[in-house]
Amino acid sequence: MQGTIQEKMTLNEKLHILSDAAKYDAACTSSGVDRRGDGTGMGNCSAAGICHSFSADGRCISLLKILFTNECIYDCKYCVNRSSNDVVRTSFTPEEVCTLTMEFYRRNYIEGLFLSSGILRSPDYTMELIYAALYRLRKVCNFQGYIHVKAIPGADPRLIQMTGYLADRMSVNVELPTAESLRLLAPHKSRKNILAPMRLVQNQINENKQEIRLYRNAPRFVPAGQSTQMIIGATPETDYQILHTAESLYKKFDLKRVFYSAFVPVNRDCALPVLKDNKPPLLREHRLYQADWLLRFYHFEADELLDENNPNFNVLLDPKCCWALNHLDLFPIEVNSADYMLLLRVPGIGCKSAGRIVKARKMGNLQFEDLKKMGVVLKRALYFITCGGKMMYPVRIEEDYIMRCLLNTKERLPEGADGMTYRQLSLFDDVNFGGVNGISNRFIYVQIRLQVFVQLCMMLGWKTGTAMQESA
Amino acid sequence: MKGKLQQQLFCQYKTVDENEGKAARLQRMIKKYLGNHAYRAVFYALLSDEPEKGTAVFRTIQEARRIPDSRKIMDHLGNPDVAEVFAMSRSVANEAHLYEEFIRFRELADGILFSEITPKSQVLVCIADHFADRFPLENWVIYDKTHKMFLLHRKQAEWALVTGTPLNRRTADRISESEKTYSELWKEFFESISISERENPVYQRTHLPLRYRNDMTEFSDQT
Repeated sequence: MQGTIQEKMTLNEKLHILSDAAKYDAACTSSGVDRRGDGTGMGNCSAAGICHSFSADGRCISLLKILFTNECIYDCKYCVNRSSNDVVRTSFTPEEVCTLTMEFYRRNYIEGLFLSSGILRSPDYTMELIYAALYRLRKVCNFQGYIHVKAIPGADPRLIQMTGYLADRMSVNVELPTAESLRLLAPHKSRKNILAPMRLVQNQINENKQEIRLYRNAPRFVPAGQSTQMIIGATPETDYQILHTAESLYKKFDLKRVFYSAFVPVNRDCALPVLKDNKPPLLREHRLYQADWLLRFYHFEADELLDENNPNFNVLLDPKCCWALNHLDLFPIEVNSADYMLLLRVPGIGCKSAGRIVKARKMGNLQFEDLKKMGVVLKRALYFITCGGKMMYPVRIEEDYIMRCLLNTKERLPEGADGMTYRQLSLFDDVNFGGVNGISNRFIYVQIRLQVFVQLCMMLGWKTGTAMQESA
Repeated sequence: MKGKLQQQLFCQYKTVDENEGKAARLQRMIKKYLGNHAYRAVFYALLSDEPEKGTAVFRTIQEARRIPDSRKIMDHLGNPDVAEVFAMSRSVANEAHLYEEFIRFRELADGILFSEITPKSQVLVCIADHFADRFPLENWVIYDKTHKMFLLHRKQAEWALVTGTPLNRRTADRISESEKTYSELWKEFFESISISERENPVYQRTHLPLRYRNDMTEFSDQT
């Protein structure tokens, strides 16, 4: 152990250090459980989750995300709190955690508490401290808001179980996508050790479901399920491997969420990669989240999105568009008759708009304008759908062409969108339709220019070509 | 709506007195024939600030009489008026949800939690149940600056909507002793939780539009 815990510190300083150390945890959701207040305490939960603010990096602040202590006996190479780092070490007391949570919650700053921790002395000891804080918050302060807590790998199963009855969500971080990378970067942790508490929580949740079926008022164990997180870009795994790991975690451990956290270099270490321009791989993280959504809500499989020959996501296009472009033989589909599952696969149509389409088309035939009102993103969807057998504009079902159009859209429509199927003749102007609103003006402008030119030619007694006279 | 509606030529305008009896009858009728789902959509749409909301709702209800199953009226998005009601109710519901997120209370000297908001539509009724359920043991007040309305909640009692009383600025600004400590702690947390390598103000603005920030603790300059 390097530092010693500083006892004499103001709450403000502690909060600064311990929230700063917790910020690399990506999970900050308060979703998954619907619980009304019982009128005797403070707080309730809503299943969709509530964000209370957005920090300067654009991430949602939903929970008071803090570490119980940043003291740690482990030396994980990517972590700011590793034992070999020389940082100020401090620790909250259970009372301080409770006061902060309650006072923040009553001012509607937060939706609940996210409590993680470095390992102080031993996993058991740390888990006990966390349990003490949660116990006080739930039983003494009568807090009924959301609590997300970390299960510490290696802690006594009994402790984890007891903590689970106080929390809404539990998570154990797998940290890195493969066991091999974990051995490299986190020498004190092992994949087996991490998966053990995950399995424990999963089994307990299933048992608890049986209990609740029998006794309606049985205490709830981790009602919002469990989640995990892995760091992206610190190790050489491909997107395909990462997505596979995520998929198997969803299937084998019934996880609610897998979070991906773009690697931010906080330590210098020869085992860690050097990033380009020192920027975390945010786009890659974004693509993984997009794919993750496709796995969870759109019934996609990891193997459909990527394969061994294309192990990484396209930088330019999102995974759903990519999939659609590779399966153009399925498109265009007829909105008024296509199966719900097929509608879900159209880029620009999401779960909500697909649901609305299925309901609304029972009442009458749908047109493109109606789709727009239902929330369909037509600038992406228009290449893949027909309404009443017609496409929105004359477009070619051709991979290159659609790809170019999709990349070109910044609210821009494809050529021919205004009824012109050919390009106007132009003399001085390269007809570059800058935007939907610009089209008609530009078109008239070109015509006037032509007229002026033709008149000029006539005045000078030149013969003009027939094509030019026609267009004038 | 008075003063907000553009009057048209060749129209005869009749003033209809509002009273609770008529409102209750209409409410019962909508719930009975169109169902709770449509009632909620109409209710939310009427809280909107659109000047033409009345016409859209009226025509929607007329349309409901025309279609075979009136209870499915809100699925009939192909109809322009239904789509308009749907859009208005969605936008009010969205705004109400944002206020459930972004309302900030401050503790006044007498222990009351007080919050001021500037919404576009009349969201107070939409968020009342949420906060009443959340803080049953607190006395709290939310003041809608746009529509000059108060939402009051007394400890362990039902909430109430109050109009026609001006806000007493002096009382509203007298905060409790501990209030400053916690608002500073919150600002501290707000700053330190952000990862500087990932800074992205555009993304932040998409999720938390500027117009909400004037009433939020973490964006106020007062220390």
